[in-house]
Amino acid sequence: MIEEGLKNELQKQGVYVTSLQELYNWGRANSVWPLTFGLACCAIEMMAASMSRFDLARFGAEVFRPSPRQADLMIVAGTVTKKMAPLVVRLYNQMPEPKYVIAMGACAISGGPFKQGYNVLKGIDRYLPVDVAIPGCPPRPEALIHAIMTLQEKIRNQKLTGPDRPRHLNAEIEGEYPVPAYGKHDLEPPKNPDVWQPPTMTRT
Amino acid sequence: MQTPENPYLVLVLLMAAAVGFALTPLAAAWAWAHFFSPQKPGNDKNDTYECGLASKGDAWIHFRSEYYLYGIIFLVFDVETIFLLPFAVSFTGLTVGAFVAMIIFLVLLVEGLVWAWRKGFLSWT
Amino acid sequence: MVSWVPDKKLETLEQIKLRIESALPLTKLDILPNECPAGERSLVVDAGRGLAVAKFLRDDAQLKLDYCSNVTGIDWPEAKIKTKVKKKMLVEGVEKEVEEIVETLRSGHLEVVYHLYSMELKHGPIVLRMRTANRTDQTHLPSLTPVWRGAEFQEREIYDLYGVIFDGHPDLRRILMWDEFVGFPMRRDYVEPDDFEYEPTPHDEVLVEAKKHYPVEAKAEVKPEVKA
Repeated sequence: MIEEGLKNELQKQGVYVTSLQELYNWGRANSVWPLTFGLACCAIEMMAASMSRFDLARFGAEVFRPSPRQADLMIVAGTVTKKMAPLVVRLYNQMPEPKYVIAMGACAISGGPFKQGYNVLKGIDRYLPVDVAIPGCPPRPEALIHAIMTLQEKIRNQKLTGPDRPRHLNAEIEGEYPVPAYGKHDLEPPKNPDVWQPPTMTRT
Repeated sequence: MQTPENPYLVLVLLMAAAVGFALTPLAAAWAWAHFFSPQKPGNDKNDTYECGLASKGDAWIHFRSEYYLYGIIFLVFDVETIFLLPFAVSFTGLTVGAFVAMIIFLVLLVEGLVWAWRKGFLSWT
Repeated sequence: MVSWVPDKKLETLEQIKLRIESALPLTKLDILPNECPAGERSLVVDAGRGLAVAKFLRDDAQLKLDYCSNVTGIDWPEAKIKTKVKKKMLVEGVEKEVEEIVETLRSGHLEVVYHLYSMELKHGPIVLRMRTANRTDQTHLPSLTPVWRGAEFQEREIYDLYGVIFDGHPDLRRILMWDEFVGFPMRRDYVEPDDFEYEPTPHDEVLVEAKKHYPVEAKAEVKPEVKA
């Protein structure tokens, strides 16, 4: 490993030194391709973020792929109904590694204003590992850009070896999550305990 | 400056460099995926179609033969366009014989279309 | 700005009712009063005569209600209805008006509401209602999809959410819920699955539901703070 001070000194002389990890993460972070995938009104903001005014292309994330086979990032933009949830999980399963999930808006995080509806999933984090959550109803395009920058920051700081290495380099972490089935009143199972462990609520 | 034995040697060397330049990142990506990223296949990932809905039925199904007839009729217009464009470009310099030959060609194609039309291939049901 | 002027003045509901009852014998219609400011009253049709009345409304030369803009379902569970009735009574030898509360038992039923307009004559809406006999086993109503094609999906939705079975509907399947779903979620007595295990900001009914998921130890830990 090269020291930070020496690295800066070399950079002043016009010599750029990097590690393989930094190079790999730099490439990974700047080519996050989202899946063309909108569920509700948040998708309108997502479209606006990719258009000229907000220009998501500046962050290497402009290539919205219509096929999960080519996408790295799933932006869950909008209300996930219980009828739609198995489809969302299946699309996530079909994405190649490495893959990331952004929960965009109050509905994708918790069900939002429709939380008590009979057909609304109370947050996509019950089934999928969410990397970044954006609050808002709907969040502004700037918030989505900020979320993508946060995700890039997260990717850049990942270590490629050791127990904290990213999911796609860890053979022990499954690439697919179980797709919930349609039950008589709810999805079965109603949550994936491997992904979603809510803190216990102790109130007085 | 001494010239090489074969003047094409430089081109061959440049070509080899260009191919290497293109293939090295691909090879590096393949090697990385092969040696460092564990493969994670799954039922959903290996599915025939990428879609949120579960695939239903077989991919080997019958298509209506009208579909292929549509394709053939499309060829009529396709071929017509390919020949019509150079015909139109060099129209002023053409002899009478070339003009007559072109008209015969067009009439043959139109006849094919009329035949298909009268057979009822243009109506789907 | 007046954007929409009806060509002709629509008949009153009473006139329409009279004309239907004279044109279709054995048909009995009710006019449902409406106390809200808009005062939009509606025709209540017996389920058995629903299809004939619908055809009359569509084909009649003066009405021509050719457009069914909206179909809605309503669930009326069994309920005791309290109404104030003014009565004249002798109180201490003097005749006075006394308000008395009368309780009546309303039987439960499901109701389907059709809002009808005429595109050709530019009038409407006429509100048509049909009621099922009860909420459990006799929930059949005639489908009006053969009369107004646009009612198909909305009747499917009412079947899906309220459980009204439309006889004569071409394709009566669930439309919003999945096929395996059991029950009708918009009915008042529908019990939602209990998924209130994580409620960071509960209130009202959600608080009641969320309390079932509180750990038992936490309940025991609740002690009143004693000020020293």
